Amino acid sequence: MSLSSFLTKAPRTIVIDASVVINLNATDCAAEILGAVPSPFAVTDNVRAELRFGSRNGHNDEERLKALVDAGAVGGAALDAAGLAIYETLISGSAAMTLDDGEAATIACAVQMNGIAMIDERKARKICASRFGSLPVVSTAELLTDGFTEAALGRQRQIEAIIAALQGARMRVPPEHIEKVVGLIGASNAASCLSLPRTARAAS
Amino acid sequence: MSAIIESLPVSEIGERLRIAREAAGLTQAAAAEKIDVARTTIVAIERGQRRIKTNELQGLCSLYGTSANAILRQEAVHLDMVPRFRKLAQSADDAAEQAACLLNDLVSAEVELENALGIKRTRNYPPERPILPGDVRQQAEQDAQDLRDWMGLGAGPVLDIVSLLDLQLGIRVYVRPLDGKISGLFAYDEAVGACMLLNAAHPVGRIIQTGAHELGHFNSARRQPEVLTEGEVPHSREERYADHFGRCFVTPARAVRQRFAEITAGQSHLTRRHIILLASAFGVAREAIVRRLEELGLTKRGTWDWFQANGGITDEQARQVLGELPVRGSSLLEAQGAVPPRLALLAREAWKRGFYSEGQLARLLKLDRHEVRELLDGAENEESEANELVKLPY
Repeated sequence: MSLSSFLTKAPRTIVIDASVVINLNATDCAAEILGAVPSPFAVTDNVRAELRFGSRNGHNDEERLKALVDAGAVGGAALDAAGLAIYETLISGSAAMTLDDGEAATIACAVQMNGIAMIDERKARKICASRFGSLPVVSTAELLTDGFTEAALGRQRQIEAIIAALQGARMRVPPEHIEKVVGLIGASNAASCLSLPRTARAAS
Repeated sequence: MSAIIESLPVSEIGERLRIAREAAGLTQAAAAEKIDVARTTIVAIERGQRRIKTNELQGLCSLYGTSANAILRQEAVHLDMVPRFRKLAQSADDAAEQAACLLNDLVSAEVELENALGIKRTRNYPPERPILPGDVRQQAEQDAQDLRDWMGLGAGPVLDIVSLLDLQLGIRVYVRPLDGKISGLFAYDEAVGACMLLNAAHPVGRIIQTGAHELGHFNSARRQPEVLTEGEVPHSREERYADHFGRCFVTPARAVRQRFAEITAGQSHLTRRHIILLASAFGVAREAIVRRLEELGLTKRGTWDWFQANGGITDEQARQVLGELPVRGSSLLEAQGAVPPRLALLAREAWKRGFYSEGQLARLLKLDRHEVRELLDGAENEESEANELVKLPY
């Protein structure tokens, strides 16, 4: 589902996962991108805790997320009883059927708020598709290639932001959006982005 | 109002929580305070007499530095090695505690991934040889030689101890950078077998020696965890056994005598060149080989101290004799990545198959998301590259 086409129908809260925060931070213009989208963004405490762990290695994703929260670009999201019940089903069981706390809380919160889950992790997206069919799930790549982002940054900065996310944060791009991403950044840039599949990088 | 966690047996959840709390070095009272319940409630939860609520679980996991999914995931492996190491009086410091946590984490992660992928690790342990009354050094020497024979090593040097312990015996061996004070750790758990952690920050010769020392513990008292610290003087019989066993395993008396005779034939004095060549031949430190020569009566006691008092034997001198040799021991060369190479391969495979998410792997391997992405880079490409020619036969 295209983010902009969905958003133009009815803005809903977009709950973002740790993977999205890391990608947005790598663009160096997260606030501008988030501010360009009419929908509000939210993040769970579990995701914040997960990012805090990365700070021991010198990554400042949690600190930068805090700045986004303080600036009002992202709001907090908490699980209520209904959300906790969904969260439990996502963390309890076999490894293949469960997710880590941040991923699970992001999905549970999006379901609870009747919002949108923004998550790049492929297993999480697969679980969403099979268990929460009506939940819209979008990716960072969709956000970065969207018209809202282009309008806010201009085409050149949009391309730079996508390349920064790919190279600086090793952004994962869902297969259905690879063509659009490569089309925007160009084959020669795609060739140097190791997180893209070999087929996308070899097209140059 | 919070829902109640149900899928795993309540006793199993309680046990996992107890292990996580003890690994974090926290009391039941501290845990109770965190989630605002009575200490008796924590006792009941850990004994499996009360189901934990989700919000309580989140609070405890945050306090223990783990995740709710790690507690509730069926395949998760929870080992209680850390408290066992903590009980060792001599290792009661931060460096040993951190190393014990690391070993515990590495083993837990590896076993969980093996289980998830259906991999069975083969153990080929020799029978344990308890320390008997009498001269412990004599027994160590005999046992070291017997083990060498059992492993079919002949008189050759042990240059890649990690591969030897790992592939031939099935001991889980990890070589990771540790605090300089720690040489290595050994632990045994019925469920996961024997495990060793060796300090990658030490010179290769020292790592080999430490591995052999820990092998001595494995051989004689494998159910006792052990931490070997730098410069530790062996006091107990167990330590004296392991210390001597290590030396005899790596530098067997007959092989040393033979090589010594070859190298010094027709010469009148032991020189730095002899020592450098002998140390290189057995893959041990120069001090270790000289001490061994002293012990075997091949040179006078005090020889090493004499060299030390007269300018020592420098790395530059070794380079002049040996040239620029590559580090031997392929397993030791691979020790610098964020996680050990085999564990990295297991993680990539588990991710490729969709068994684990990025977040789960980050938590399992104690990495942040950036590190996990680096680890997984290219895993998708491996799939697209696969064809019949490179298909494995199982």
